[in-house]
Amino acid sequence: MSNINGKVYAMNVVTPMKPWKTWFLRLIFFLLGAIKSKQQDLINLSFIEFARWVIVPRKSFPRPDERMDAEELRYDYLLFFSNFNGTWNQYIDAFSAVLFQGLNLIWMWSEKFPGSVPVTPFKEYISRVQFDTDYYYTAYPHATANDLKAAHIVQASFDQLDATTATCTPREFEAAYLKFMLQVQSHLGETGEPPVVF
Amino acid sequence: MSKLNVTDIQGFTLRGYNLPFARYLFLHFAEDPKHTRALLHELLGRITTGQCWDNGKPSSTLNIALSHRGLAALKLPAATLLTFPVEFQEGMKARSEILGDTGINAPKNWDEMWHSGHVHAWVAINGQTPADIDACHAELTDLIEKTGGARELGHQDAAAIVVDGGASTIEHFGYTDGFGNPDYVGVDRKSQPGHGKLAKDGKSWEPLATGELLLGYADEAGELPVAPMPHLLASNGTFMVYRKLKQNVAAFRAYIDHEAKFYTGGKAKLEAKFIGRWKDGTPLELSPNYENQAIVKDPDQSTNFTYSGDPEGTRCPMGAHLRRVNPRDSFGFKGGLVNRRRITRRGLPYGRYVPDGQPVSDTEDRGIVFMVLNASISRQFEFVQQQWIEYGNDNHLGNDKDPLLGNHGGHGKFAIQGDATAANPPMICSKLPNFVELKGGEYFFLPSITALGMLAMDLVDPR
Amino acid sequence: MPNQSGSLYGLTILSPIIDDESATPSHDLQIREYLANLPTDCKGPFALAPYTHLTRLAVMDDVIYVGMPSSEEHLKFKYLIWEANFDGDLDRYLVALAKTVPDQINAIWSHCVGYPGTANLDKFLTYMKSCQLETTFYFAAVNDKSLTQTLTALQTQRAVADFIAKHRGTPAPELQREFLKFSARLKAMPTPLPAAVSHPRGIKTGGRNE
Repeated sequence: MSNINGKVYAMNVVTPMKPWKTWFLRLIFFLLGAIKSKQQDLINLSFIEFARWVIVPRKSFPRPDERMDAEELRYDYLLFFSNFNGTWNQYIDAFSAVLFQGLNLIWMWSEKFPGSVPVTPFKEYISRVQFDTDYYYTAYPHATANDLKAAHIVQASFDQLDATTATCTPREFEAAYLKFMLQVQSHLGETGEPPVVF
Repeated sequence: MSKLNVTDIQGFTLRGYNLPFARYLFLHFAEDPKHTRALLHELLGRITTGQCWDNGKPSSTLNIALSHRGLAALKLPAATLLTFPVEFQEGMKARSEILGDTGINAPKNWDEMWHSGHVHAWVAINGQTPADIDACHAELTDLIEKTGGARELGHQDAAAIVVDGGASTIEHFGYTDGFGNPDYVGVDRKSQPGHGKLAKDGKSWEPLATGELLLGYADEAGELPVAPMPHLLASNGTFMVYRKLKQNVAAFRAYIDHEAKFYTGGKAKLEAKFIGRWKDGTPLELSPNYENQAIVKDPDQSTNFTYSGDPEGTRCPMGAHLRRVNPRDSFGFKGGLVNRRRITRRGLPYGRYVPDGQPVSDTEDRGIVFMVLNASISRQFEFVQQQWIEYGNDNHLGNDKDPLLGNHGGHGKFAIQGDATAANPPMICSKLPNFVELKGGEYFFLPSITALGMLAMDLVDPR
Repeated sequence: MPNQSGSLYGLTILSPIIDDESATPSHDLQIREYLANLPTDCKGPFALAPYTHLTRLAVMDDVIYVGMPSSEEHLKFKYLIWEANFDGDLDRYLVALAKTVPDQINAIWSHCVGYPGTANLDKFLTYMKSCQLETTFYFAAVNDKSLTQTLTALQTQRAVADFIAKHRGTPAPELQREFLKFSARLKAMPTPLPAAVSHPRGIKTGGRNE
């Protein structure tokens, strides 16, 4: 059992919410989804490969067999799944440092959420409501979200150069190759082993 | 905040003394802590504090820091020993995998003195002349003999490199060093733009929270740093990282000479691209094409820059040493992801300096004694070392390491971003060897004068 | 639709685990044991079957009581959480798993209430969808590239860096010839296997405490 595979960390966080508060949270997610500029901070943080929030209303826990007992719960639950690069501390520190307002908007509806600043009570809360991952798979353990974006840029530039190389003159190629170098020069970081987690 | 009590804080914490000679002694404490306490008691009045030197610089200074083993040897209560941060309890050797101190940098390749693992204290003497150092050292040896409190395991001499008959701030590779330690609230020192953190306007600079350097004060996250209990033991103290870094000057010069053949920007610019400053100290970000002493000498300019105008690294490469260890606004959020990762650096070169052009061999030991002061070794030094020096993801550099400090093992890569001109071409340097090797080090606690007194008088109550 | 971002699909499934007092060890522990021994490299089921970028399985054994003044409550069932991020369409994905790695899927889900097995695809799909939760908000950093495109791009990136480093100072005519050869070689290379790492490594796990 490990939350870590190569360069990604799988975080599972489950928190209780009073059902009437869930509607405010749905509204916030609706706005976040509708207004793309609001997602910019998430994108700028650049170490999240995939993340999702799932609201599970107290009466909506799946019942694939209708004969099974229904859950009897007072709270709705907010499930948060994140696939991020770097260490647990780095991730939470970063959120707390620069995304605290957004974070508070999402979790303030959860019971006993202490706020994302200061960071130590926030970390204590997260560790308490975090579930460990039993099985974690990634198709590219040696790459981070940054590495993936960089690789796609290199691929596009390579394809562009490749399309003209066979037919152009050496002089034209020289210019095209320089242009190619300038396109890829800040996207050539090595992929490989992650640093030791601490 | 109110003024810091500079009489309670060791001077080494608050400022670089700018004295040209230093000796770092390593002690192993006596079996019986009574004798060690007696030694600390003798030292108490001699420790250099942060007080102003109204009558000019003293001929020498004295400071002390203790490892976790040292604190344990003093028989501090177990409940107190356990309140120290985990990384400090473990010590630097145990953290070698985390730090990337593997291969040639692994502890088994460190200087003999570190092999026992029994360094209990670091004592630093800085001085005006070698004679001043010797005099202070002799006095210390007398105290050690008189009290029977410790034995000296070894010492490391260091000295500013002499250029044109005077002490300089250059290091063995030839770069001018010693720009820009961070400013902290309440720490009184000559301040200049670029030294602290970016203000909310994203342009001006302000000091970092005191708690990024000193225990007992709020840090950048608005809380007290993790510190030992009781708080009097912690307050006005800090943690120190000591690393002896051997510099392979011959390997560096040979590598640069070889790569310069492929670099149409010229050798001097290539050297500048590695570190982010020209050899005379001019920041590439402010002057990408030539050295400029007017910038170096102007405190309003020499550290006053950001990277927002250079997102592709065509002036200062994304992987240049300077840009890695202090990314300023590189990650956006007006530096918000950087402010809790800043470190204060101290240090001096050791070994014989060989000017450029003269024969040099890496069998001769030379390098730099590199020391870091920070409130949290794991959050600050270890993070910078692991994530920004031995790894590159935050800077969008994948696994590429710091070109100068990285533990490359002959496989390193450094991309120099450029533009379409011949004077600033893009280039990839590959097969980087280790230009720097780790020869030893440890994590130390640099206590306040009050805390030192508590240790000397055995006044730390069990709790 | 919040289950999708661009060409990526974010599947969230909560499958109730069979609560049988006569089972030794209990079904949740049997799932945990099976998952602990399931390969996560190129021999793992999600590598053998197509489309998966990242996925995880976790046993949620209960909800957490966060303390006063909130009230304590407990789940009647334990749940198997399955979170997956994959290319395209849900049916195509589930069918591919059922066809490629039925043994592993059955070994995991046979401990869950009402699981019909993979043999009858319709029943399998109906079961999985009955356990599916609608994602409220989904974020994918790269949402316009397939798994194959991504694995290829990572291979290209590495090769390009090597090529550039090796051909510094090469005169244009020769460089052009070399590039054509390089491009032909690169394009002839098979798509790298998912989760195949170039150098083998020991498993590294770590705590989260600084």
